Amino acid sequence: MIPAGEEAAAERPPEANVAVLGLGNVLMGDDALGPTVVKVLEAEYEFPPGVSVQDLGTPGLDLTPYLAGLRAAIVVDTVRAGGAPGEVRLYRRDEILKNPPQPRLSPHDPGLKEALLTVEFSGSGPREVLLVGVIPAGVETGVGLSPAVQGAVRSAAAAVVTELARLGVAPSARAVPDPLDLWWERT
Amino acid sequence: MSQRITVDPITRIEGHLRIDVEVDGGTVKNSWSSGQMFRGIEEILKGRDPRDAWLFTQRFCGVCTTVHAIASVRAVENALNLEIPINAQYIRNIIVTAHCLHDHIVHFYHLSALDWVDVVSALKADPVKTAALAETLSPWPRNGWREMEKVKARLQGFVAGGQLGIFTNGYWGHPAMKLPPEVNLLAVAHYLQALEYQQKALKVVAVLGSKTPNIQNLAVGGVANPINLDNQTAINMEKLFMMRELLEEVRTFIQQVYLPDVAAIGAMYAPWLGYGAGVTNYLAVPDLPLDTKGTKFDLPGGTIFDGNLAGVKTINSFQDPYFRDNVSESIAHAWYDGDWDKHPWDEDTVPNYTDFDAEKKYSWVKAPRFQGRPMQVGPLAQVLVGYASGHELIKKYADQTLATAGSIAKTKLGPEVLHSTLGRHAARAIRAAVMADLALKHLNLLIENIGKGDVAIFVPPTFPAGEQRGFGFHEAPRGTLSHWVIIRDGKIANYQAVVPSTWNAGPRDEKGQKGPYEASLIGNPIADAEKPLEVLRTVHSFDPCMACAIHTVDVEGNEIARVRTL
Repeated sequence: MIPAGEEAAAERPPEANVAVLGLGNVLMGDDALGPTVVKVLEAEYEFPPGVSVQDLGTPGLDLTPYLAGLRAAIVVDTVRAGGAPGEVRLYRRDEILKNPPQPRLSPHDPGLKEALLTVEFSGSGPREVLLVGVIPAGVETGVGLSPAVQGAVRSAAAAVVTELARLGVAPSARAVPDPLDLWWERT
Repeated sequence: MSQRITVDPITRIEGHLRIDVEVDGGTVKNSWSSGQMFRGIEEILKGRDPRDAWLFTQRFCGVCTTVHAIASVRAVENALNLEIPINAQYIRNIIVTAHCLHDHIVHFYHLSALDWVDVVSALKADPVKTAALAETLSPWPRNGWREMEKVKARLQGFVAGGQLGIFTNGYWGHPAMKLPPEVNLLAVAHYLQALEYQQKALKVVAVLGSKTPNIQNLAVGGVANPINLDNQTAINMEKLFMMRELLEEVRTFIQQVYLPDVAAIGAMYAPWLGYGAGVTNYLAVPDLPLDTKGTKFDLPGGTIFDGNLAGVKTINSFQDPYFRDNVSESIAHAWYDGDWDKHPWDEDTVPNYTDFDAEKKYSWVKAPRFQGRPMQVGPLAQVLVGYASGHELIKKYADQTLATAGSIAKTKLGPEVLHSTLGRHAARAIRAAVMADLALKHLNLLIENIGKGDVAIFVPPTFPAGEQRGFGFHEAPRGTLSHWVIIRDGKIANYQAVVPSTWNAGPRDEKGQKGPYEASLIGNPIADAEKPLEVLRTVHSFDPCMACAIHTVDVEGNEIARVRTL
């Protein structure tokens, strides 16, 4: 269920306010990183009540409602930064807002930063934000990750799990993982 | 002495649009609209199962997700000549209306109000005077002085913290900003409240679509929402009543906040009811079907040429050849291989980038045409088609909005002022009011039909051998969207999406006819070439969303406008 503005905090139980948000376009090569990490996490872990794991695609400023009312947000996305494809970069809230790392390479640059500022202005912004970013090799029309970014999926997922543990809501690994459903890679 | 101004990027949301204008004597004399990213996502669909197409098409764009899903299932159903259960039409219609309400509210308050509202000026406002002014405009209970004081304090805190980044594109202090501080404060208060109401609309999409932003409940042949009034996971009474409550709240916000705000801004910026008309050929498609086949609708579609409302010609069904046979796309000035004007079924998408050359090719966006004419699409097109063809709800809210704006401006305003930059905003608010009423109507139709014992939601499609051609249209928040599919032996052989921002943002065609963005900028005043706020006003009034019009990586500069003297 999607939280509604300032009411969101009241609507959720106190512990129910951590979200893992995968961003990116599954039809644009390495931009599928965020949705892929979400699918891997869903297949391999069970999450405690109050932790939601969502593939949001490329919502731009429409990210706002998914941030409203959260205590903590963990965003997984490709980032434009100096470095080799497949490198994982972590950014905290203040770094995202103070020194914008151009967190999007694909067609919706204003997304994260503007959405964070908007919820903050409305008084419902998450206090804790972690951006788990991966440097892409290629963001072009097409389905499938490059080898470099494919190799970063595990570390990105691990960074999410570590952060959830730090927030006191560690997921538990499934004894037998569910099948991984990357539907966009099916032919 | 004339100047050339390049504005790049102009969208606040997805995608990259570049606008070039030539300014002489403080007025725009010529203009070019250029999409800066290659589009070619349809190629991914070739060879796939047509039943899966909607899952992929709703990933074209992260903002306009549901609309591509809807157009896609309609296109495949059209190819198969498949009628879907009436419950499925109603459920889709509720999703369409709720998504649209969310989208129109976000566009006005969060993506374009800053073109008209000077946020920093709101700091000078008197909260008590603001509340008194608001009372003359609307009975909305959240316009009280305590609320205004709270908003002003929050804004002060935000500005003191140096966090104006959210308003970066808002040229505060610009000479073209005309609202008094109190109106600016009221607008900021409504900016914040609008966040809550757009989320309520989105919640309705989530209830039916099971997830947002990418809904999961569609299928070629209907929907995947089981209806069982006694089952927690199915569509049940609790969910139906929850949706009604949410939609009623959103309707109140639109009637008491959005419509009066737009009327007030229209009245206070009256000169902008005279700028920005551009292309006055309009195209809208009918939507919100009321039968299984798509021959009766609650929203009107049709064409108007040269602003002549009396000559309106309606589009009457999902099968109407008047739409099917008259759409084409020209690549005379777009970076694709060749120089043709083709029907969407016959198109290909072979990129061939050459530099920006205003005389030759200068955009990744193709130029769609209807009977060879450029067409403006969007809420204004639908409102004008409805007004011209006697659509009751559209007439009611259009006349009401024009009367409110007229009484504030102390003049009489007729529908002719809608052919303008602010007319597009007014039309979007009028359409939102119509949609809010129709959302509740279709929810009631669904409840009544379930009450009769009909719980059918799906008709399984079968794909015969050989070739089928289909088209599906949808009047999306940004205007007419159409998907065109060719199916061969059960697989997709060709797919094209002709999207609203392509109609509006497209370049010139082989005859040199300008696209709607380009034409609408001619004659706009420019007070300060370094800060071309007026260009943003006119282009933003179309609600540009370029991600589905075009795609891929682009290098983004930090500067917003470049100016050079010719």
